[in-house]
Amino acid sequence: MNFEIPNFMLAMPEIFVLGMACFILILDLFLSERSRVVTYLLTQATLVGAFLLSLGLYSSARELTFSDSFVLDPMASVLKLAVYAAVFMVLLYSRRYLRERGMFRGEFFVLGLFGVLGMMVMISAHSLLTIYMGLELLSLSMYAMVAMQRDSRVAAEAAMKYFILGAMASAMLLYGMSMIYGVTGSLELGEVSAAVAGQGSQLILIFGLVFLMVGVAFKLGAVPFHMWVPDVYHGASTAVTLYISTAPKLAAFAMLMRLLVDGLGALQPQWHDILLLLAILSLGIGNVVAIAQTNIKRMLAYSGISHVGFLLLGVLSGSPEGYAAGMFYAIVYVLMGLGGFGMVILMSRAGFEADQLEDYKGLNERSPWFALMMMFLMFSMAGVPPFIGFWAKLSVLQAVVDANMVWLAAVAVLFSVIGAFYYLRLIKLMYFDGPLELSPFRPSPDVALLFSVNALAVLLIGLFPSSLMAICRQAMGL
Amino acid sequence: MIALSDYLTVAALLFGLSMAGIFINRKNVIILLMCIELMLLAVNINFVAFSHYLGDSAGQVFVFFILTVAAAEAAIGLAILVVLFRNRRSINVDDLDTLKG
Amino acid sequence: MSFEQILFYLFSGVLVLSAGAVITVRNPVHAAMFLVLCFVTTSALWLLLEAEFLAITLVLVYVGAVMVLFLFVVMMLDINLARMREGFARYLPIGGIVAATAVGIMGLAVGRINFGLDVWPAPPARAADYSNTRELGEQLYTTYVYPFEIASVVLLVAIVAAIALTLRTRPGTRYQKIEEQVVVKKSDRLRVVQLESEGRK
Repeated sequence: MNFEIPNFMLAMPEIFVLGMACFILILDLFLSERSRVVTYLLTQATLVGAFLLSLGLYSSARELTFSDSFVLDPMASVLKLAVYAAVFMVLLYSRRYLRERGMFRGEFFVLGLFGVLGMMVMISAHSLLTIYMGLELLSLSMYAMVAMQRDSRVAAEAAMKYFILGAMASAMLLYGMSMIYGVTGSLELGEVSAAVAGQGSQLILIFGLVFLMVGVAFKLGAVPFHMWVPDVYHGASTAVTLYISTAPKLAAFAMLMRLLVDGLGALQPQWHDILLLLAILSLGIGNVVAIAQTNIKRMLAYSGISHVGFLLLGVLSGSPEGYAAGMFYAIVYVLMGLGGFGMVILMSRAGFEADQLEDYKGLNERSPWFALMMMFLMFSMAGVPPFIGFWAKLSVLQAVVDANMVWLAAVAVLFSVIGAFYYLRLIKLMYFDGPLELSPFRPSPDVALLFSVNALAVLLIGLFPSSLMAICRQAMGL
Repeated sequence: MIALSDYLTVAALLFGLSMAGIFINRKNVIILLMCIELMLLAVNINFVAFSHYLGDSAGQVFVFFILTVAAAEAAIGLAILVVLFRNRRSINVDDLDTLKG
Repeated sequence: MSFEQILFYLFSGVLVLSAGAVITVRNPVHAAMFLVLCFVTTSALWLLLEAEFLAITLVLVYVGAVMVLFLFVVMMLDINLARMREGFARYLPIGGIVAATAVGIMGLAVGRINFGLDVWPAPPARAADYSNTRELGEQLYTTYVYPFEIASVVLLVAIVAAIALTLRTRPGTRYQKIEEQVVVKKSDRLRVVQLESEGRK
């Protein structure tokens, strides 16, 4: 038996987050209801600490450890940093919201941290087994967080749907993994990749790949496996929606990259076709169905589905430029998604959920500043220059055109134009309709500040997109 | 001699049956949870069979982890079921129609 | 037909039949019992595949713990059996078609052409002193130590989630205070009262 002691240093952020989560779990038992804020502050401190650790570990080298089941490469570092930042903002947004709804509980934060750990494991996974374990750690935490609002009927219903469909998708993913293991004889992605490249008959691999893609498409929320997305985003309390709609997308992107590029790179022609189908369907259904929504959370859910379509476009072009564009899109989507659902949190108050579109009518009269900020976000999601969303769409389209699929770029542009309609409708409601209530708009100052920063970031990074793009390109080794 | 294809066929049958079960038992959450357990069982048979015929223990290790996760999953699934039942005194999926669109 | 083949066809036949029963029987308790039968027969199949440790684990963990949890929940929730079967006949055709298509395609892919004995010869039987448990144990604590640690976190999440979701403290519920019960002394509870003896009248 030869066994190398793993290099624990590389997994330091994971170990830190796990240790802190356990510590917070125990400490929370001894805190009274009044001092629960300590739990919150410690959770945020954990994210900051992990950020610093991951930043310190950043290097352009690619290092494997834990018998090659753990990888730390620039892509993993960048995505992890983005995950910490996103979850940090999620918790900052939702602090007051949770308090007003009696959900400011230690378990919520601990499950949030375990979810972060799951995402980290997925991002750094270098074997089928670790991908699966990370995915389950994340999913189980999210199912529980959705159901956490125990007295809400819709939340319980959303959690049940999410759970059943999620568990089914995991089983599909596992069936695909079992086929790939059978043909390649290994779970470790490096060996899988080598075996796939040297494989004569690819029939069974494609058979496994189809099952694998069903699982991945479900986790990403791509059409036709998107049924859960609007229901869960709508049914979960907005703080939880904010969590599940943002950071996990980064982890799902990492899972896609690890499985398809690191593991099954030799099957690129095959997965290209599957991704193409998923991308076109997501762009189409996402944008068209979003128009029919009256609930803003459902509208943002369908808009999220169409953004996933764009993200897939970047990956399917099959070049490092395309992967970098996909990663850029994922990070930008997370930033815009934070703003989108942050807007719902900003408008909500105790006993009132601002989740109907008509709640936004005439916001300009009540608060011109926030109407402007929301307009920034909507323009960015629609892909209007110079906001960041435009650059994200442009870089993806560039990669698609470089891959000689001009028609696909045209289809994507067509659907984004259709999609622009419902973003503009919200702007119309805010600026040209009379308000339903005339009371002045008084958001809590911390959420207001955060939201303004969020929306201004969408503009500012949009004015200077090259640095973020450079980070993404560097992460893909360009 | 028993061929690998025999084991894989049994697993495929089991997987197909549990998929059918999910379709025909849409109303009954508890049977849905059992169908998911069946699906995972089918996957496990695949892994154990491959592991035996490859002479490699990684597949068995994977099954060990799937069993662990599936147990945790069942616990959380049943907890959500209990929350759902307390909220609406029914686990009939047909009654789960608040969310539509 | 060799003895092993007889065992294989016997157990897989029972497995498939009881899986069919799980998805069709009326009563969830019966379904759970058929699921137990599925697990037991699968465990027998795994013994044929020389995966002794997992075969035992499946019975201990699944039949012993998970299925008991299922039964516990079924019994705890007061389920209306009549309503649960509604729509069964309606969805049966589509379910049947889905299953038949899926099994058809999967059967083609995993059939004898790709996984027959000529492509995948059966490995020689392990030596008598081979210990499956030992091999898995060595692997788990060395090569797979990272997923092993994550598995422990997954279980912790399950504990935290299950408690957070279902534990309810109602006002007015009476609890035992064990620590107070333990430290109690005779003098705290018992008071010896000297009463004046009353003389007979």
